[in-house]
Amino acid sequence: MATRVVTVDRNLRTGPMPIVRGMALTFKNMLATWFGGKASTVQFPEEKRKTSGRYRGVHILTQRMDGTPKCVACYMCATVCPAECIYIESGERPEKDIEKYPTRFEIDLLRCVYCGFCVDACPEEAIVMSRENDLVGTTRAELIIDRDRLMDRNKLIEHGPGYRPEEHDVRRPVRIAALERLRKEHGIVPGMPQRG
Amino acid sequence: MPKCTINGREIEVPAGTTVIQAALELGIHIPHFCWHPDLAVDGNCRMCLVEVEKAPKLQIACNTAVTDGMVVHTESEKAAQAHRTTLEFLLVNHPIDCPVCDQAGECYLQDQYMDHGLHESKVEPEEKVRKRKVVDLGPIMLDAERCVLCSRCIRFEREVTGTNSFEFVNRGDHTQIATFQDRPIEHNYAGNLADVCPVGALLSHDFRFKMRVWFLEETASVCPGCSTGCNVTIDHRDGEAHRLRPRRNVEVNKSWMCDVGRQEYREIGLDTRVTGARVRRGGHWEGTSLDDALDVVASWLRGQGAATAFVATPQGTNEDLFAFRTLADLVGGRLEFRVGDPQDKVRVREDNVLLRADRNPNTQGCLDQELGRTGVAALLADCAAGRVETLVLQGPELLRLPDAVEPLSRVAHIAVMATHEGPELDRAHLVLPAAVWAEVDGSFTNFQRRVQRIRRAFAAAGDAQPRWQMAARLVQRLGGSFPAVSAREAFALLAAAVPGYAGLSYGALGATGRALGAPGATEAASGASAGAR
Repeated sequence: MATRVVTVDRNLRTGPMPIVRGMALTFKNMLATWFGGKASTVQFPEEKRKTSGRYRGVHILTQRMDGTPKCVACYMCATVCPAECIYIESGERPEKDIEKYPTRFEIDLLRCVYCGFCVDACPEEAIVMSRENDLVGTTRAELIIDRDRLMDRNKLIEHGPGYRPEEHDVRRPVRIAALERLRKEHGIVPGMPQRG
Repeated sequence: MPKCTINGREIEVPAGTTVIQAALELGIHIPHFCWHPDLAVDGNCRMCLVEVEKAPKLQIACNTAVTDGMVVHTESEKAAQAHRTTLEFLLVNHPIDCPVCDQAGECYLQDQYMDHGLHESKVEPEEKVRKRKVVDLGPIMLDAERCVLCSRCIRFEREVTGTNSFEFVNRGDHTQIATFQDRPIEHNYAGNLADVCPVGALLSHDFRFKMRVWFLEETASVCPGCSTGCNVTIDHRDGEAHRLRPRRNVEVNKSWMCDVGRQEYREIGLDTRVTGARVRRGGHWEGTSLDDALDVVASWLRGQGAATAFVATPQGTNEDLFAFRTLADLVGGRLEFRVGDPQDKVRVREDNVLLRADRNPNTQGCLDQELGRTGVAALLADCAAGRVETLVLQGPELLRLPDAVEPLSRVAHIAVMATHEGPELDRAHLVLPAAVWAEVDGSFTNFQRRVQRIRRAFAAAGDAQPRWQMAARLVQRLGGSFPAVSAREAFALLAAAVPGYAGLSYGALGATGRALGAPGATEAASGASAGAR
């Protein structure tokens, strides 16, 4: 690609007009804020900006109906994460159709770049994002959030769901539809031996 | 020797070679599940179908011998369609639980679906035949749903261990593998079942849910568990070893290794590793830098001559032993290695497959370098008589010997290179931190006199150093010369000095080692084919 060279005229031969135009804009906004009620800023802690439903804020781990994490510790999010901020340790679940769950799931929010790749990679819709964006802490350790804090649904209700796969509503308990159907219609509990 | 053409490339192979082997030699990978280079051909998975010109139907590459003038196409439209449809059949009842399956990342089904399948499944997940999951068979976890019924495990049990634990049960769609009444696998080669299983049906209990395999780095090495010297791969991440896997070497271990050897990785990361040098001053231990500790040892050795003694360890690499021998010869002290007489057991089998009674990887190396001169008993007698002033131990084995406690208490200075803490170290006066096998470059000589390389997988714990380096630094402190800064150079020095090793170098050892002229080591390496119980 050819580089385009732009010569900037630094001689102040343009007169005072640019300054006047700039200050006019400043005063226009000032007067609009004072008298017109059209502030471009918000009174932050009390008042919050509206963000879209696809906003990528602090992560939420979704839960099953019994309150356990939906995550099966497949490490897809940790694999895809460009900031390498997800740390997972996995353990054994008693349910044979689930088998695996995270005993530790930590996200280092100081390293996280909020790209949302973890949400895209998740095969279980177990990790979604909220619209929480005012995260503060007094130590670094506070901002490495663990599994139980990631599963805190109140945050989600407070800030609203952010980036998540399609129209999935993370506030609703999640069922595995296929397994439910199997159990209901055929009376089969997956994983049990079928002798015969 | 028949000559055939595979995908337009000619190759001449010995009579009896199958198409799949000939293709592998050309670097052509024919998809397969049930074929394994070290197991008998079964030909049940039908995945390796190839088009052979003038044959009426597709042939299975694993059980079709190459004949002269044969023309084979492995990627023709007909063959590709066969691969795709066979794979679709194999996946009909597969649960697709890759997210929770430890095999993911090294699974034949995943790889071959990406290479040859990419079809849409015609079966809904809930219509699939459900089979047993999470069946605990001791060291192995069985998941019958993931099984492709390739019978590799059945053949392994039949041909290698002779235990016949697995069998197919039920018929048709409901066929699955099982052990009788879910009895656990009890032999010492269970880990290989997880290795031979091309899918996630048999998985290692030890490695279960520990780590996803794509995070792991591989380092080719040799198992330090016994004198057989099975070739292994160390799978590690961030300086931590997560598992050992056998690496194929037809001359030594084929594709197998024992469970005793598989556990060797646990030793590496233990909290009890010796991470720094320490010296006993006034009755208690005092931590010190490695340099200061080596200075102390050098001062003990300087001018002592015959009042010193050195005991090498068969746990050390050839380079360790050679540097240690150089040190002993420079000082003029006596040199031994026989503790617990490992040389008597070096070729003694512990079972019919691989394991040997000598649990040291390099006893043969000690013998080749003639480290045992008058015997440990004579040495201890001298210690008891007060004729030994300074004793340098390359490993703590002698300190563990109950008979040695009394004589060693008469020795004024005992320096020991140790990898792990233990009560025996309190009998020494100075401890040097030694790196373990996975942390060093070097070579072991196995019971067949095959010299095989081990490679450094990650950095040593704390201040720990390879034993040969510590010995070399002592040589330099005492005015001698050991002109090597790497294990490669140390091995070159060794090759120039030790008769049987002349002409060897790391380059010549290659991936699977080099056998030396072997007195009394004609016994076949692996009893796998002959040694059913």
